[in-house]
Amino acid sequence: MIDSKLFLDKNKTVMFGIFENPEQFLDTVSKVHHKGAQIIDCYTPFPMHGIEKAMGLKRSLLPVGAFICGCIGFLTAATLQSYTMHFDWPMIIGNKPTVGVSYVPVLFEMTVLFTAFGIAILFFTRSKMLHGKMPSERIDFRQTDDRMVIAIATDNNAVDKNELSNMLFSGGAVLVKERTNNGYEDFTEVEIKSAN
Amino acid sequence: MIHDSIIRPNLVTGDKNLHDVTSEICRPIENKPSVSWKVGFTISAIFLGLLLLTLGITLYVGIGTWGLNKTVQWGWDITNFVFWVGIGHAGTLISAILLLFRQKWRMSINRSAEAMTIFAVMCAAIFPLFHMGRIWVGGYWVFPLPNAFGSLWVNFHSPLLWDVFAISTYFSVSLVFWYLGLIPDIATVRDRATTAGRKFWYNFFSMGWTGSVRTWNRYEVVSLILAGISTPLVLSVHTIVSMDFATSVVPGWHTTIFPPYFVAGAIFSGFGMVLTLLVIARKVMNYQDYITIGHLEAMCKVVMLTGTMVGLAYITEFFVAAYSGVEYEQYAFINRATGPYWWAYWSMMTCNLIAPQVFWFKWARTTPWFIFMLSIVVNVGMWFERFVIIVTSLHREYLPSGWVMYSPTLVEIGIFLGSFGLFFTCFFLFSKFLPVINIAEVKGILKNRE
Repeated sequence: MIDSKLFLDKNKTVMFGIFENPEQFLDTVSKVHHKGAQIIDCYTPFPMHGIEKAMGLKRSLLPVGAFICGCIGFLTAATLQSYTMHFDWPMIIGNKPTVGVSYVPVLFEMTVLFTAFGIAILFFTRSKMLHGKMPSERIDFRQTDDRMVIAIATDNNAVDKNELSNMLFSGGAVLVKERTNNGYEDFTEVEIKSAN
Repeated sequence: MIHDSIIRPNLVTGDKNLHDVTSEICRPIENKPSVSWKVGFTISAIFLGLLLLTLGITLYVGIGTWGLNKTVQWGWDITNFVFWVGIGHAGTLISAILLLFRQKWRMSINRSAEAMTIFAVMCAAIFPLFHMGRIWVGGYWVFPLPNAFGSLWVNFHSPLLWDVFAISTYFSVSLVFWYLGLIPDIATVRDRATTAGRKFWYNFFSMGWTGSVRTWNRYEVVSLILAGISTPLVLSVHTIVSMDFATSVVPGWHTTIFPPYFVAGAIFSGFGMVLTLLVIARKVMNYQDYITIGHLEAMCKVVMLTGTMVGLAYITEFFVAAYSGVEYEQYAFINRATGPYWWAYWSMMTCNLIAPQVFWFKWARTTPWFIFMLSIVVNVGMWFERFVIIVTSLHREYLPSGWVMYSPTLVEIGIFLGSFGLFFTCFFLFSKFLPVINIAEVKGILKNRE
């Protein structure tokens, strides 16, 4: 695995295999990964189970972030309630303690609130998602509809380019193409093989 | 990769492929609105206008325009608040709890149910906000802002304040969950867009989504975490709403059974409203292959189970009142069933406990027009439940000199009917501009995916 930011680096060459059958796609991804080729990323219109293993992706660390956000929420609620109800202006109602179990509902709600917003913000940041951002990695307009795309780095690759394109094509790709990045949003695309 | 069950029928019928799913679900967004949509939207918008008018009168004249009095300080306002919050419970239940239980039938209905949650909570929020009277200074009363005259803060011992936190957390977390689920589908619409306006707006809200597996991988983790935290959240919200009543000393409210009873009632009414909307939507939008009879049947079973649970709670309340030996409690319950509001009590019993029992019969669970009729009965019954709890408990005091009757004014009726206008206007806009069914998730459960 290599980092996906290489994808946009100048003078890098990337080979794309475009598929229409999810089962064949998954098999091919697994084969390409086991062959030792560097898969930059894959693009699928729906969450495909098992593909992260086929690509060799690591488990996301987002749950750790969620836990930290939850703790911050809990501490915020505890601080807010004890400061306002106990320290700043002790509010004694019915002779009940100013710190007590009545804090629990707000502690819970704020923990959930901070976790949810925290995880969403972390997710958007980690995935470089932003409102209005142009989808820079759109290889095929149908990759959000009914096509699946595998992107493989072909510079200094362990696998020969011809062998790789044959592998993709025999695996069921409808189109195999290669793209060289000449600079900001300037690409040279060469179609290698097409089913039609 | 796909583990097909041999005994279970397909969740999506009609032998569709991936492209069929995309184009069929995107159809309402990409075409001009149908006549039925226009008629429905216009009627809803008129009721929304009624809401604005009656809220305007309330603000201009004051709370005196409502039928509340010295004894019944909570009437239709809080009845409607609890009614709408309850309806808002099905969405998160379907998307969070059913996700944790790996119930794949949720996938065709979770989007619209989540949308309903958000719109229902918006409708609910109107009532307590306007009940405060001067809502422009409401920030001091509901949020922990320091008082201008000294360090007097809001009271965190009060269940009413817990409710502010619960409802606002529930609304915002549901919104995040809903939007997150929408992003891949918004990107699908973006990539098919032909007009400049659609290209711009769907591009704006799709946040650059490309369907990258790395992003999907994180997305699945985030969905699971959100589902994990939303599950206790959805249970906590109606628990806290029930504490608004249960922590008081009013006979008929001071009951420890309230939290589970309210949660069951919320799920019951939420599913009732989901059925009302989806039985119509699947027909009008031609989504019978996605929201199948199997989906309706599963929801009917939930309605039957939760209806029986609330029915059991009604009877348990009676038993506890009798067994406690507290005559105020006993009187409160006898008065409910035989007092001046007996008709509300028996409407509630008939609609919530007796009517859903027809779902023991398969015919009743699989006939859409019948399900629709019964879902209306459930909605009516659950509204009466809140009316019974609130008004019949309040209209009798410890001192008979405080005994009064309560009836709503035209303004209150207008606000209630208008809240339906807000709800349905939002739902019609949603069905026109966003995919009503989760395209990406439905693609994952297709059998023929070529």
